[in-house]
Amino acid sequence: MFRGLLKSPAFVVGAGLFLLTILVALFAPLFMNVDTQTRVGLAYMPPSSEHWLGTDHLGIDMVSLLIAGLRASLHVGFLAGIVATIVGTLIGVYGGYKGGLIDDVLTVATNLFLVIPSLIVLILLSSSLDEGRSLSLIALIIGCTTWTWSARAVRAQSASLRGRDHVSLARINGYGTFGIVTLHILPYLLSYIFMVFILQTATGILSEASISMLGLGPYDSVSLGKILNEAIRNEALTDGAWWAFVPAMVLVTIIAFALYVINTAMEGVFNPRLRK
Amino acid sequence: MSDAVLEVEDLRVHYLTRFGTRVQAVDGVSFSLKEGEILGIAGESGCGKTTLVSGCMGLYIPPLHHTSGDVRIAGKSIIGMSLEQNRKEVLGRRISMIPQGALNSLNPTRKIKDLATDMILSHDESADKRDIYERLRERFERIGLDAAHVLNAYPVQLPAGTKQRVVIGISTLLNPKVVVADEPTSALDVSTQKAVIRLLFDLMDQGIIASMLFITHELPLLRHVSSRIAVMYAGEIVELGTTEQVIFDPRQPYTKALMGSMLSAEPGQRDRKPVAIEGAPPNLAVPIKGCRFAERCPSVRPDCKETKQVIRLVAGREVRCQYAS
Amino acid sequence: MLQSNPTLRHILGRAGWYFLTFLVAVTINFLLPRLGDANPIDTIMARSTGNIDQKTAREREEAYLKEFGLIEVDEKGQIVRNPDGSPVKTPLIKQFGSYLVMSLQGDLGTSILQYPKKVSEIIKTALPWTLALQLPTIVLGWIIGNLLGALAAYKRGVFDRVLYPLALLASAVPAFCVGILLVYVFGIRLEWLPAVGGYDEGMVPTLSFDFIASASYYYILPFLSIFLIVVGGQAIGMRSMCIYELGTDYVKYAKLLGIRESKILLYMFRNAMLPQLTGLALALGAMVGGALITEMIFSYPGLGMAVLTAIQGNDYPLITGCTLLVTVCVLVANFSVDILVGFLDPRIRAAQMGGK
Repeated sequence: MFRGLLKSPAFVVGAGLFLLTILVALFAPLFMNVDTQTRVGLAYMPPSSEHWLGTDHLGIDMVSLLIAGLRASLHVGFLAGIVATIVGTLIGVYGGYKGGLIDDVLTVATNLFLVIPSLIVLILLSSSLDEGRSLSLIALIIGCTTWTWSARAVRAQSASLRGRDHVSLARINGYGTFGIVTLHILPYLLSYIFMVFILQTATGILSEASISMLGLGPYDSVSLGKILNEAIRNEALTDGAWWAFVPAMVLVTIIAFALYVINTAMEGVFNPRLRK
Repeated sequence: MSDAVLEVEDLRVHYLTRFGTRVQAVDGVSFSLKEGEILGIAGESGCGKTTLVSGCMGLYIPPLHHTSGDVRIAGKSIIGMSLEQNRKEVLGRRISMIPQGALNSLNPTRKIKDLATDMILSHDESADKRDIYERLRERFERIGLDAAHVLNAYPVQLPAGTKQRVVIGISTLLNPKVVVADEPTSALDVSTQKAVIRLLFDLMDQGIIASMLFITHELPLLRHVSSRIAVMYAGEIVELGTTEQVIFDPRQPYTKALMGSMLSAEPGQRDRKPVAIEGAPPNLAVPIKGCRFAERCPSVRPDCKETKQVIRLVAGREVRCQYAS
Repeated sequence: MLQSNPTLRHILGRAGWYFLTFLVAVTINFLLPRLGDANPIDTIMARSTGNIDQKTAREREEAYLKEFGLIEVDEKGQIVRNPDGSPVKTPLIKQFGSYLVMSLQGDLGTSILQYPKKVSEIIKTALPWTLALQLPTIVLGWIIGNLLGALAAYKRGVFDRVLYPLALLASAVPAFCVGILLVYVFGIRLEWLPAVGGYDEGMVPTLSFDFIASASYYYILPFLSIFLIVVGGQAIGMRSMCIYELGTDYVKYAKLLGIRESKILLYMFRNAMLPQLTGLALALGAMVGGALITEMIFSYPGLGMAVLTAIQGNDYPLITGCTLLVTVCVLVANFSVDILVGFLDPRIRAAQMGGK
């Protein structure tokens, strides 16, 4: 199965890009001085040999900010992805397997949250938590507002598995719902759930960037979205200080794009006729 | 033959793969079909029967290409036409197909009458809409459907058996000379199968269908329906004779093996066990010298792989095997 | 009457569901901002500077609390007090009740930042701008995106090979990135188009020709930001749908019957459109969210900016007022698309009539 993935050029490109960003995020601090506190120069100094991407509005080294921001954004993205995938999968698998009234109720609830724009809920939640906004909390919030898509997707898969022989057999043999779900349904959905996770992570990173850009980002950390927010607020755009926002944007786009590409490649390899 | 409805003369059809390899899927097929005849076509999957049928319908859409040979319907050749000409004059009009899986063949978002009207108008733009509806009503009643209800319905509202009849009705709307039935009953239950076969016979009796090419892998059906049977293997016809001859007295080794593997619990056959044929058909991308069945033939002789096999007349039927008797 | 008219039943059913969603949205709108400890009154108090003595400060605070419905008031309008003199806080349920009633009457409270302006006033000025920007853009983007996708699926070849990666990029790039890029490149660097605002500074919004011309000029960049992304996303989706439709049995059969190519394309398009419409309903929430962010980037005087300034100033009534309105708009749009699909898809209509 994995060999098939490696043969797909799309997958290799996407996974490669993504791994690269993770590696940079994880290991860059070992190689260079990542300092997001000290002012090393004037505000909005253009890139130089000393500071490859110049400085921000406070005179802090941009590269340091970007790396710190990258780590934060990845952290939030992953965590949000995990939360969203878990919540969505649980609801989806349970509803899909059970069918009937439980399924209807869960579907109505899912559709409810699907229709209400998640950005709105994010704004509402974040604005009320003024000082407590840590990266993990934001990730949790994002996870809890973006799970609806996974729930729908997993539910469809789970429902299609419901009628399979081994499931009926397990039921006859007296397995309870929990047993059947964990032993007979989840294992078949693992690759699908993984794909869902990839997309949810991408959503998480994009959501974090959006919400931070609005000023509802982490209170005391740097994230890529926050860098953008600071840039806009401090008129980096009008000043022409492209280094204050273009790299952050590029990073967010690359990560999201890489994840989408990975997902598309996986879709092609695992060939879900199951998709519908 | 002047009363032949379909004449296929040494037809050769090939595929061009993405890498430019040429696969000769049909390699020299000849037969003819007279009015009132039903020719059954049998063979493993990949033997070329689907390609043959596409070739007979003029569906030479890349990657499928016409290599050589002729196909004549009611005396007029259909080779060499542009795709648009073929669409307008041949498809559905002179030769029409009843597809496999008729259940999904009807556009779910189109009423039956609209689909049928589209078909008629595609061949004759000047037809009047009201006349068309009358024609449809009359034809659908003739084939035993409640026209008023069926014509105004969407496919989702009709049961499987009705849909199958609708497909037959639409395919034969323009009274084609040749009807190709490709596993028309594979997805149906037994009683519906019988009804469909009866309908096809009816339509032949009424002259709406002049002749039929019937493709199936079910032996009882083949026997019940066909007047003659052609057995295909690796792009060639290996045996062509009457139903009695081919089923009960096959002479070509492949035919013998095929009939053996298609056995059902028919009286007289119950003692014989079905025997699967080992091995696989040859790769048609590579030119083959001798007999194509040589690799798997139970009665193969040393020079079978070297000598090109031609059709001979053995015991009153055509056989492609130099050692058949 | 309901028995005999299945369409009406369908519409009422969907309406009921949307109303339920609306109630949930209102509840969320009310509850979430109140989860934290932030007290809007503190913000107002902090703003009213000056050295005032404790007594005046307390009086003022109570006046604000009364106005915002945070403390109990008796029939005569007097503050109800606890034994120790402090005002009785209104229980959450009562606050919710009055919130609901007031909202349905159109009174969304008073803004803190722009005190004493009413929230509904602020929204009334901002809403038309948002509608003017988002509605045509999303609709146009959807139509053109789907057309391009269908064309790519049918033609394949060069057109497809160019369109596909472009559309993929356009759909993967986050909404705000496109906005920021356009602003920077065209607004600031090249100075071809205005970077900020909805109209020329110094102009007053009127229905004059000059104003409309100016507004249209400022409309271009925000329009493009949203438009390109919607087109990209739709093109990708429609292309997949059409490729799928072109491979279906019914298309094969239609070809076998000799039906005209143009007719077959129509089949493909109609059948692919239906799931796209359904998909639109689901994606509207995200699209609107992205469009709001675009508004913020361009400082476009719509709801997006209103929300942004509200967030920056901790103006809770305005935040909740805007979010509620946006949610209502999305629900209405969703409902409309839902009904539309019900009409267009014969499978749904047939199911309503009860297929025989």
